Amino acid sequence: MNKSGVSRLIVIGSLLSAASLLIVFQMVRIQGSTRHQELSRWADEQYSYAIENYYPERGNIYDRWGRLLAGNEDVYEVGLMLQYVTNPSTIAQTMDGVNDLIYKDILENASKAYDPKKSIYAVLTDFLPSGVVDVLSEIKQQYEIENPYGRDSKKPSLRGVVWYPHLKRSYPENSLASNIIGFYSFRDRQDGIGYYGVEEYYDDLLAGSPMETFMPRNPYMLEGLPEVPAGASLVLTIDREIQAMVEKKLDDAVKENEADYGVVIIMDPRNGEILAMASQPRINLNQYWETEDQFKDKTPYNRAISETYEPGSVFKVLTMSAAMDAGAVDEKTIFNDPGRFEYGGGIVYNWDRRGHGKQDMQGCMQKSLNVCLAWVATELGKDKFYEYMQAYGIGRMTNVDLGGEKIWPFSVPGDSDWYPIQLVTNSFGQGVAVTPIQLATSVSAVANGGKMMKPHVLKAIIQDGKQYNTSPQVLGVPIKPETAHALSEMLVKSLANETSLALVPGYTISGKTGTAEIPVEGKYGTDQTNASFVGWGPADNPQFLVYVWIARPKKSPWGSVVAAPLFRDIVKELVVYLDIPPETAQNNLVAKEG
Amino acid sequence: MTNKFKQAYQQAPWRRQLRSFGISVLPVIAIGLVIALYLVVSAQSAAAGLQIMGMHYDEEEILRQIAIHRTELGWMTSYNEMQKRARKIGYDIPPAEAVHFMTIPGYQGQGAVLIAPPPGADAQGAPLVNEFYQQSLWDWFVDTFLVDSTAASGGVK
Repeated sequence: MNKSGVSRLIVIGSLLSAASLLIVFQMVRIQGSTRHQELSRWADEQYSYAIENYYPERGNIYDRWGRLLAGNEDVYEVGLMLQYVTNPSTIAQTMDGVNDLIYKDILENASKAYDPKKSIYAVLTDFLPSGVVDVLSEIKQQYEIENPYGRDSKKPSLRGVVWYPHLKRSYPENSLASNIIGFYSFRDRQDGIGYYGVEEYYDDLLAGSPMETFMPRNPYMLEGLPEVPAGASLVLTIDREIQAMVEKKLDDAVKENEADYGVVIIMDPRNGEILAMASQPRINLNQYWETEDQFKDKTPYNRAISETYEPGSVFKVLTMSAAMDAGAVDEKTIFNDPGRFEYGGGIVYNWDRRGHGKQDMQGCMQKSLNVCLAWVATELGKDKFYEYMQAYGIGRMTNVDLGGEKIWPFSVPGDSDWYPIQLVTNSFGQGVAVTPIQLATSVSAVANGGKMMKPHVLKAIIQDGKQYNTSPQVLGVPIKPETAHALSEMLVKSLANETSLALVPGYTISGKTGTAEIPVEGKYGTDQTNASFVGWGPADNPQFLVYVWIARPKKSPWGSVVAAPLFRDIVKELVVYLDIPPETAQNNLVAKEG
Repeated sequence: MTNKFKQAYQQAPWRRQLRSFGISVLPVIAIGLVIALYLVVSAQSAAAGLQIMGMHYDEEEILRQIAIHRTELGWMTSYNEMQKRARKIGYDIPPAEAVHFMTIPGYQGQGAVLIAPPPGADAQGAPLVNEFYQQSLWDWFVDTFLVDSTAASGGVK
């Protein structure tokens, strides 16, 4: 190679090296500049990740056998991408009447000018069922074939009409168990919350955790997928079939007795599971916004847990159990009933204003003698009486797992609003206010050998693909097992002796009627009453407790006439649902097996 | 004479140029090969990433469809619907008095509902993204040529 060739190569090499160095220098300069940092941050924000607001599917609610009570269904939001709208009048004509849309309003929306800063998208309607959207889609496609891209503004076109699916809460049973389930305000798509019942109490669990997820657009950055757990599903202790049966029977009884309303609770005293809870009024949960029309004048959503009232004679079960447990009286204690009882500056009378002579405690319960129970309470003494009542949870929340539980404070000696006469009035359920769930829970202790279980509706939680069953909880043991058995037996006999309308052929039932007078302008009378009945069975091995309350019946004021037959009608079917054979059949089955 | 001798043993200039060119181009070819390999692996990785993203959206859609179908089933088997269907095919609720109880050997009654398996019913789930798609070229090289060869030669010395 000659000298000129070498120098040419050196020159070219130097130029290339200089160019390379310049490139490197420029790269370093760009990397170090503040503008680069700004641009890099902007690019990261714009293109590295897609931010998705994820609202997890709200958990389902099932009855105890896995039948769906609340789920989710797809609906559509329909809107307009204003940039692409070519024929507003076609859109207005097509959508007129859909979801109560009005032609004029649609036309006004569709005619809005597109403005990339202010006006890009307009919502036409929401919660459109998928069937309607399918029809809309077909029409749009047809117009698109006839008039591609909506180029001819004289021809019909639905260009610009778009729809987005989303889930909506759905209640397949409509009004069934609505007082227990509550509702989710699904019309507030961003801020929906659970109201009342299970939907309120377990709102956090059902809703899951809405979150903002960062989905990398750059596939290299995809190291793991964002995990957004769905809301937990709940299995309730409610039995749909029993609930439906109870609601129907309650509605019929209220109608037949021309009453204002009623409540029925069925629970398993052994574990506190609520099998059914019926209250009035009820609403179709798919139209929850009608709640205000249905529940006027502060009407509680679920009277079984939110309405306090004077329970009347069913409360005598608690008074008698306390006295027997403390040893103040026993089954054979005799009381000579004069028909009136003076105590604490007041006089109490029997429901019939008559004296009934010598009565043992069973007679007192059977004839529901106020005077006798007032005497029993004084024999027990005020301190012991209120001690027992507090052990039964009177005046305190049961903490049943339903939203909206209420209580009425229970006055005890020492309180400014307590007077000595309240000891005797309280003994037969006047001057004390309870909710049906409170009373049913307290009485369930007698049915369950003295052990009071916490009432609850949650049987299991399904979370992250696993089912977690709940365990029953003991609220307390207010009385001894032997007291509970003795009182249960006493109530079996008293029901049988009075040939009560609550008796169910083939089954031994313990129970007590209640008729509480409702004060009108401060005076008690039998014009307006709360008729009730609490019973459980089979008496030797209680598997159910049924509490019935009928408010202000007009046909008859008495619990024995109004509430007891409803109890019987319910139990006759309940034993079939619970697979409890009559005693004769049980004996036959045992004999056959033997 | 000396010049003649040298000339006899010198390579032809075009051969020397070719050798120089070959030596200088060799690193470029090597770098090119590495880049090509990197591009292939990266492309596969990107394709897999995109596939995962697509499957993620598919999964969401499938879960949504399951929820919808479950609710549809709930509506079809709701209490009122089942009552209607039962009546339509001639069934009715019998009065309680008409119910007869009998012993069915081995029948334990209706068991508690189990919508999902209880906790501890299965092993830990596998990671969503296969480790294969998260390897760098270096990881792959170490795993394939270094770790495996050590293992083949008997592991720890």
